[in-house]
Amino acid sequence: MRRNAAEVALSLGVLALGLGVAGVTATLPSEGGYAGIGPNFIPAVVGAGIVLLGCWLSFEAFSGGWRGAVPDDARERGEHAFHGAGFAWISAGLFAHMALIGWAGFVVAGIVLFACVARGFGSVRVPRDLAMGLVLSVGIYLFFVKLLNVNLPAGWLKPLLGTAGV
Amino acid sequence: MEAFEALMAGFAVALKPINLLWGFIGVTLGTFIGVLPGVGPALTVAMLLPLTAKLDPTGALIMFAGIYYGAMFGGSTTTILLNTPGESASIATALEGNRMAKRGRAGPALATAAIGSFVAGSIATVLLTLLAPVVVDLALKFGPAEYFSLMVFAFITVSAVLGSSTVRGLTSLFIGLFFGLIGIDSQTGQPRFAFGVAELLDGVDVVVLAVGLFAVGEALYVAAYQSRLSETIEKIQGSILMSAEDWKRSWPAWLRATAIGFPFGTIPAGGAEIPTFLSYAVEKKLSKHPEEFGKGAIEGVAGPEAANNASATGVLVPLLTLGIPTSATAAILLGAFQNYGLQPGPQLFQAQADLVWGLIASLYVGNVILLILNLPLIGIWVKVLQIPKDILYAGILVFATLGAYSLHQSWVDLLMLYVFGLLGFAMRRWDIPVGPAVIGLILGPLAETQFRRALSISQGDATVFFTQPISAGFLAVTAALVIVPWVVRRWRRR
Repeated sequence: MRRNAAEVALSLGVLALGLGVAGVTATLPSEGGYAGIGPNFIPAVVGAGIVLLGCWLSFEAFSGGWRGAVPDDARERGEHAFHGAGFAWISAGLFAHMALIGWAGFVVAGIVLFACVARGFGSVRVPRDLAMGLVLSVGIYLFFVKLLNVNLPAGWLKPLLGTAGV
Repeated sequence: MEAFEALMAGFAVALKPINLLWGFIGVTLGTFIGVLPGVGPALTVAMLLPLTAKLDPTGALIMFAGIYYGAMFGGSTTTILLNTPGESASIATALEGNRMAKRGRAGPALATAAIGSFVAGSIATVLLTLLAPVVVDLALKFGPAEYFSLMVFAFITVSAVLGSSTVRGLTSLFIGLFFGLIGIDSQTGQPRFAFGVAELLDGVDVVVLAVGLFAVGEALYVAAYQSRLSETIEKIQGSILMSAEDWKRSWPAWLRATAIGFPFGTIPAGGAEIPTFLSYAVEKKLSKHPEEFGKGAIEGVAGPEAANNASATGVLVPLLTLGIPTSATAAILLGAFQNYGLQPGPQLFQAQADLVWGLIASLYVGNVILLILNLPLIGIWVKVLQIPKDILYAGILVFATLGAYSLHQSWVDLLMLYVFGLLGFAMRRWDIPVGPAVIGLILGPLAETQFRRALSISQGDATVFFTQPISAGFLAVTAALVIVPWVVRRWRRR
């Protein structure tokens, strides 16, 4: 019987999450007033539920695989094999955006994110992507900050974008 | 007649020029975003939520009604022209609609979808108008125990009864319930699962979860498994008008589909998936041209599209009258209400009658706007469809991160967005439904509150859920839904 590593990992992950929830729940107070149950009761139920579901998933994973699962072979799903670079570029873009938005500002972070995601989908026209990212980010920035009064960080571009941002 | 008067007052609200404008903007934006391939109604509503942050509640909710309908219509356009169903409810449409488009009949396919959606949406809104006061009267008799049992019923039907796997549906639900626990306990002020992180004390925002699962997760998935596939967008050739024959074959399908879709929407049965397939099956059976099915039969588009819209309106019955969302999209709409400190339910009908009836009236208006706006603008929607994937997803993610960041101006929310994106990727890849997680996040805290209230009233006596007849009834039906199919399966296997 072939065991599916991903299914095993996910099943054990669910189990671990349940145990984690149960562990944290043990530190919560049980003081309950009239109801007789405190803020730890429902977390205990949810934690127990996740543990049980983790066991159930593990049982399926170890006894012939998850029932009614989608095919593992990408071609059977009408897709191509896992393309790691695409996944990595998008992840990198999101992390760069996270790091940049606070100090470099919304527009700069947006340009970098736009270019990275486009790269992840196979675009090699970097100048075009940077330019489109710029236009989109500035557009969104002005719309939200000037029209909707939502605060977004101007960052490095503060001298250009005016004082409306933070 | 009371409902009629209330509805007229609602129209007075909905037809105010400023609210008409919000409805108009909502329908247009909803269609525009909904047309984008890979963007379903749930993501459309979640992405556009930040736009309404500074609006008054009535205007914002009217805009959301427009977005909700617009997203639905946009999705069907994409399905017909591109054959990539953005959501399970569009699969039935893809079967016939895309084949009609391939045979050069894209115009009539889009027309029957649009007009059918209008007919079904309008009839369903009339039914909603008539049904809502009845349910509200009933719901006013509900105490916390009844509400809790009803929510348990909703949890089980959306996660365990439908879908390809009971255990995976329940896992999704419980992960959502766990996310719902994060933050400050509303009854005692006790922080739970926040680990001292300020952003977590406010709880997990439904926009961050929905956008993470649907936008980031989808982008990661498509880049990893689908970005190298080629796609063909069908051209719209010839007339977009329906012939007399098309009309004759479409209208009975619209009406039958409305009758199927609306009731399915009102019960927690996992949204529009079942009624669209049911409608497709019925049309195939009743059609005088069964040989055309699979090759582009117009009834196969007219029925499922009308059923989809009727059930989308039906979903608003439990949402508005009971405060119970039965689809991921409805859960996000409930989040929109909560942003304004409003809790849908029977009390809202009394306390904020103008708002609720204004919203219902705006559904009638929204349907009309949708009809007069969208067919003439079909050329623009086709252009939107042609946006290449690299630019499309880059734009979606720039917009998606904005919604998460604007909550607290903090990168922590962006990190959560990415974590939910990874979760969404894994759930999509290993066929774990995402809807139950979104519903669990929103409905979980409400269920906990009702549970503890019920026990407070009964002084800690847990039998209250089984001794109150209505509550016991809900629990009995829930148990039957779980046990009966299981027993039947066992019995058949022997």
